[in-house]
Amino acid sequence: MSQRKGFYLLTLLVVLLPLLFPDNYFVTVVAVSAGLNAILAVSLNLLMGYAGQISLGHAAFFGMGAYTSAILTTKFAWNPWPAMVAGMILTGTIAFFMARPVLKLKGHYLAMATLGFGIIINIILVQAVGLTGGPDGLGEIPTLSFFGWQVDTDLRWYIVIGSCMLLVVWLALNLINSRSGRALRALHGSEVAAEMMGIDTTATKTGVFVMAALIASLAGSLFAHQQSFVSPDSCDFFFSIELVTMVVLGGMASTYGAVFGAIVLTFLPELLVVFEDFEVMIFGAILMSMMIFLPQGMFVGMQNLLQRLTHRRSALPGEDPNEPA
Amino acid sequence: MWDQILQFLFTGVTVGATYALVALGFAIIYNASDVVNFAQGEFVMMGAMCAVFLYSGSGLPLPVALLLAVALTIVLGMSFQRFAIARARGASVVSTIIITIGASIFLRGVALLLWGKDILAMPHFSGETPIQLGRATLLPQNLWVMGGTGVMVLAVHYFFHHTTLGKAVIACSCNRTAAHLVGINVGLMMLIAYGLSAFLGAMAGVLVTPITFTSYDAGVMLGLKGFSAAILGGMGNPMGAVAGGLLLGLIESMAAGLISSGYKDAIGFVVLLLVLFLRPSGLFGKASAERV
Amino acid sequence: MNLLEVEGLEKSFGGVTAISDLHFEVPPGLVYSVIGPNGAGKTTLFNMLSGIYKPDEGRVRFDDHDLNGLLPHQVAQLGVSRTFQNLQLFFNMSVLDNVMVGCHLRSHSGPLSGALRLPNVRREEELTEHWGHEALEFCGLDDLIGREASALPYGALKRLEIARALASRPRLLMMDEPAAGLNDTETVELRALIRRICDAGITVLLVEHNMGLVMQVSDRILVLDYGSRLAEGSPEQIRSDPKVIEAYLGGEVQYAV
Ligand SMILES: Nc1ncnc2c1ncn2[C@@H]1O[C@H](COP(=O)(O)OP(=O)(O)OP(=O)(O)O)[C@@H](O)[C@H]1O
Ligand SMILES: [Mg+2]
Repeated sequence: MSQRKGFYLLTLLVVLLPLLFPDNYFVTVVAVSAGLNAILAVSLNLLMGYAGQISLGHAAFFGMGAYTSAILTTKFAWNPWPAMVAGMILTGTIAFFMARPVLKLKGHYLAMATLGFGIIINIILVQAVGLTGGPDGLGEIPTLSFFGWQVDTDLRWYIVIGSCMLLVVWLALNLINSRSGRALRALHGSEVAAEMMGIDTTATKTGVFVMAALIASLAGSLFAHQQSFVSPDSCDFFFSIELVTMVVLGGMASTYGAVFGAIVLTFLPELLVVFEDFEVMIFGAILMSMMIFLPQGMFVGMQNLLQRLTHRRSALPGEDPNEPA
Repeated sequence: MWDQILQFLFTGVTVGATYALVALGFAIIYNASDVVNFAQGEFVMMGAMCAVFLYSGSGLPLPVALLLAVALTIVLGMSFQRFAIARARGASVVSTIIITIGASIFLRGVALLLWGKDILAMPHFSGETPIQLGRATLLPQNLWVMGGTGVMVLAVHYFFHHTTLGKAVIACSCNRTAAHLVGINVGLMMLIAYGLSAFLGAMAGVLVTPITFTSYDAGVMLGLKGFSAAILGGMGNPMGAVAGGLLLGLIESMAAGLISSGYKDAIGFVVLLLVLFLRPSGLFGKASAERV
Repeated sequence: MNLLEVEGLEKSFGGVTAISDLHFEVPPGLVYSVIGPNGAGKTTLFNMLSGIYKPDEGRVRFDDHDLNGLLPHQVAQLGVSRTFQNLQLFFNMSVLDNVMVGCHLRSHSGPLSGALRLPNVRREEELTEHWGHEALEFCGLDDLIGREASALPYGALKRLEIARALASRPRLLMMDEPAAGLNDTETVELRALIRRICDAGITVLLVEHNMGLVMQVSDRILVLDYGSRLAEGSPEQIRSDPKVIEAYLGGEVQYAV
């Protein structure tokens, strides 16, 4: 099954990189960011790519996780683990109460509502200086430890985040090919028909919204401990947009596509640094041209191309390459 | 108290007028091509930056600099349509959103490259002597913004409802194929829509920059506010967008004055969310029920 | 005992009355057709029966359950399924996935066990896939199993909608114009399919404009005109009812097969 082969391939990649290039900046630093972004993109893709509910505010959930961990561990001296759980509970609860009114909206209105929500959260993080440290953020966040195994080197963080990413990818792949995953995809295809087949679409939408938020919160907590510093910039509107771009760039409704998009979008700016002043401009130009020439996303687009070349008729199981134009 | 409120009102209407122009641009492009143009704010920034540059950089007289800046932005808007949007026909809604985001990053990058990160100023059109109204004051530039916006909104309204060209643009937005079949040059109409949108953005930029200053990233927030205003009014309803812009400007200015300036943007968005929860298609948008 | 009972149903949209004071009963095991000119309110009726629209007035009872106020997925849980006049397939999914969604109510695993792919989930998956195959086979779609739904020709799509609805094992299947857009061969196949569905013990509620099909396949027929009941009876009674002939363009009813 290609689905599983893909997973082995990804695992192999994650394992081999640090062995082949130990102490390489791109592996131990950039790849760790890419891993976190991949977790976020995969979770957003569940909501956006599969269930068809666009969200321009996903970074807010990431921020909630990051800040809950940061605040509880630095200001209240909590152990990181319960802090992480507290972050997920808080984020999940907020997401749950947001989900109903927000997901009633469609299309651009939904985009606007999620965008507004993300900005509101960000403004609160900037303004509630007493709690969040305001624009300067919070520092000196302790690192994680697993039964005494301190995650205190870049390589160890690579291992932790790499495994988390693989876990999230594995869970997402399973979910999408399960009964609940079909329900998600079905409501994207036709909400009435999904209802008529017995799917409680409101509950399903709420469920996937909360689930995506929980994963984002987890990623946020990991981020906080890994960077040992959080600031409102790390979860602002631009980051939300960046996450959406990762999903779309890789190709909507493809878990591997989301991972791919996250990797490309994390590495690209690092590579463009050599262009100095031209960096921003070139980044914009690349983004535009990629979407113009591969509107289905790079990963999915290339996958389709490959398929056409090898004359295979059917798509990878569970990875729907495209929706009707 | 009331003087203060009057003062907030002036500020609110001025800011709101800018939002209204950006929102109007949003609505026009959305109507013409179903694209939510996240680069709309960059049209404002480009108009303003070009004007500042042409005026203080090359010493052109202010009116000439303004005209040239607006013209340049129109060309920019049309090229964006021609070389990016038109090539991506058939891309999904989100894909086109990403294209416009790419364009906005690109334009910001260009501005950064050409003019750096400095905050730039532009002279007021007719002096800076405040006009007293009760105990509230008003700058002549505020009047320029309000008046200019009023004239342009009316002109746009007239264009779409009373000229053949305007109606042809509307026809394309209703049904491209049908418009093409009755002999309308759809490509040209799209160029006009994007040009008009860029024109409105650039005008907003040059009108308001004497008050607010500008910088390479000034378009981001304006674009977001314009989008909010367009949604508030009901996406695709141009006059709704204008009303949404004014309303948003007023809410923010009142919130800043009476509640907290730090939270003014947040309050604007909270109001927007509440409106959407109660009226899922905006204030003046038509509820669209899908028939099965 | 009737399977479906409709009493005093009313629905209007703004000024347009789509359904007014409608009464009828559907006994179990029949093919019961609803016919009427365009805009007579047939689809609106289906939408109310399936919980998509709320009736303004009146009651719908299905097998002793009051359907009023139920959401479509709750109606589906009682054993009602339907197809749509304008295709509502999951075009983002494969043919098999489409029918497997149809089996949603016959399986139970939740998101968590699904994400962990627990052993019982795997078994359920296999079973669901088997049910999916069955439904596709029943509708003669077995050779298209590996395809994406978006790659199917129109006739197959219409049948796929039926297969998906059948996959839920409904007791009442509502079909909204299943023959629209089909060619003659496909229509003949459809007629056989409807009969087979009925023989399998599923009550069929059929909306259809193709009179040949309706007359051949139906046990009873309800005629709607401007949202009201114009006539009701066996195909023979309807065929010779002067009011019906009047409503259908002054008597030009086509009975061709
Ligand atoms: N969602 C809606 N909003 C407004 N009017 C509606 C809606 N649905 C149906 N109508 C109106 O109700 C009337 C009945 O429509 P309906 O679709 O039920 O007819 P129908 O019998 O299915 O026609 P057809 O044979 O063409 O499918 C029509 O006048 C239609 O315009
Ligand atoms: Mg109908």
